[in-house]
Amino acid sequence: MSRIKLFSIFLLLIAVVFVLAEARAVEQADKSTCLECHASEMMKLEFRNIPGDWKTSWHYENRVLCHDCHGGDPKDAAAAMSPQRGFVGAPKYKDVPEFCGKCHVGILKSYLESGHGKALKSNGTGPNCVTCHGSHKIQKANIDIINEGLCGKCHSYERASIMKKALFLTEKKITETEKDIKKLKAGGVFTEEEEKNLFSAHAEFRTLFHSVDVSLVKERTDEFAKKLSLLGNKIQNMLNELGFRKNFSAFLMLIFLGIGVGIFLLSKTYKS
Amino acid sequence: MLDRIKNWFEIRIGLKDLIRAQLTEYRVPKDINIFYTLGFVAMAAFMMQAATGFFLLVYYVPHSEQAFKSVQAIMTTVPYGWLFRMLHAVGSNLMVAVVFLHLASVFFMGSYKKPREMTWLAGCLMLLLVLTFCLSGYLLPWSQLSYWATTIVTTIPTAFPYFGDYAAYIMRGGEHVSGVTLNRFFAIHVALLPFLFISILGFHLFLVRRIGISSPPFGEKNEREWTEYRHEAHSDGIPFYPHFVFREMFMVMIFFAIMFFIISFMPTLFLPEDANTPADPFRTPARIKPEWYFLAPYQMLRLIPNKLLGVVMQIIIVALFILWPFFDTKKERNILKRRLLLGVFFISIAMWVILAVWGRYS
Repeated sequence: MSRIKLFSIFLLLIAVVFVLAEARAVEQADKSTCLECHASEMMKLEFRNIPGDWKTSWHYENRVLCHDCHGGDPKDAAAAMSPQRGFVGAPKYKDVPEFCGKCHVGILKSYLESGHGKALKSNGTGPNCVTCHGSHKIQKANIDIINEGLCGKCHSYERASIMKKALFLTEKKITETEKDIKKLKAGGVFTEEEEKNLFSAHAEFRTLFHSVDVSLVKERTDEFAKKLSLLGNKIQNMLNELGFRKNFSAFLMLIFLGIGVGIFLLSKTYKS
Repeated sequence: MLDRIKNWFEIRIGLKDLIRAQLTEYRVPKDINIFYTLGFVAMAAFMMQAATGFFLLVYYVPHSEQAFKSVQAIMTTVPYGWLFRMLHAVGSNLMVAVVFLHLASVFFMGSYKKPREMTWLAGCLMLLLVLTFCLSGYLLPWSQLSYWATTIVTTIPTAFPYFGDYAAYIMRGGEHVSGVTLNRFFAIHVALLPFLFISILGFHLFLVRRIGISSPPFGEKNEREWTEYRHEAHSDGIPFYPHFVFREMFMVMIFFAIMFFIISFMPTLFLPEDANTPADPFRTPARIKPEWYFLAPYQMLRLIPNKLLGVVMQIIIVALFILWPFFDTKKERNILKRRLLLGVFFISIAMWVILAVWGRYS
């Protein structure tokens, strides 16, 4: 048998190994006891949608996992819901703000000082975080969360609508800045500092409007506008720089193409 | 003035004779095609890597605390630093592509056959060195991508029993990828590899000139048996300068035009978001994919159930590739007249492409 035939057989064997191996190429990502149990048939129907909801959430996008909120050990099925492993389960209605406030510290403080928080703590009837944001399907918060349908469940929309108007400009600027940062990132710029600045302004802003105090929001809008404008200018300069880089390299590309064409034409004269 | 300078050199090194013997009277086959220029393009790419690498070296700090920041400084505050870094990053990928193409075309033309086995060996060694260059250079920006890709690569030796763990330990300079690994890879990248590469490149070029460029095997050819050393002179061929040099320069210009096209319109093609995030040993990215040229071996390792078997299989494939001239000793160089070899060539390329695409999207 010739060496090439032997080599062909070797290639064929490799192909067979790949085909057989494909059967075991199971996706290992996102393995978690919490997800496996909650998605299984034995789980109550009302709990079975939780993994699916979470996978569409802002928490999922930011890799906030089940045990980050509920505690427990997602790697050990037997002890996954053991209090010894820090499992706290689902909080009672009244305790939800503190449950979420483990991470959202500033917002918790602002909320507890607001009319919403005071109502919850005094008679247990005020809205908690889940009332507006939902639980597992939590989306990235934006100004549209203030709407007649949602606010109107508990009180008239009039006051909330004034609040929304007061928030509008700052929220718009934040959204625009976010988009610009995304553009910078897509252009390969490291935007950690800008993201931190925006995050800080954003968090402060969110904290502020959880106070549901219209006069306070109006009072501080200028302060946010200045901060965001400084950040916006910096980002705009960077975007301009990216534009320059693009044009400059495109110019160099044309130069090299031109030289290439010149050389090609010159080589033809040598042939003749 | 220019004549005086020329004359100065003429007296000392015989410039005219040198130019005549090495350029104008040196001939290449008359039916030589554009693929024969790829070696020169690869060499031009290497020279550009060396030049841009030197520039980056001026500003880069090989320390785990400073590496990422220094690369960011090159990209943002050093005047035109971004251009040099992009040329280096995009150029490395294009250089691998050119070397791959060069080897594939040499294989297709049957130019690895007697008496050019050593030229092929040197070329293959240079490919391995280029890949080692890429691997060692990949870690230097100390980004999430580079950190975790290096973590994966340095676990490969652990597939071997007895010495595998020790080999991985030596590569990393510890149990995990750390600042020590960065220092090792940096030293290899800037001191050891250039020396090795230039040495083998010199040997490769020496062989090409000493034996002469092989002619394309297609068409009616009456090739003499190689029973003793002789220089393949191509007396009926075309002058190396200006004819062939112009073709080479044309291809080099195309190479640079492609590079600037990528820098201009696809700047993140080889630098995705994880390449722009500082390394964090405590946060494993959701999916880490190696660079495109390592995707096929990466996917192969993922598919083969036994890690040792996977690594050994890859070593066998690489060894077969490098030692191919000693396996294929038939005199016929025209691959079109050898259907089986033609099939092996295309199946190998197809498998490589399939595995790479599979690895990228799986």
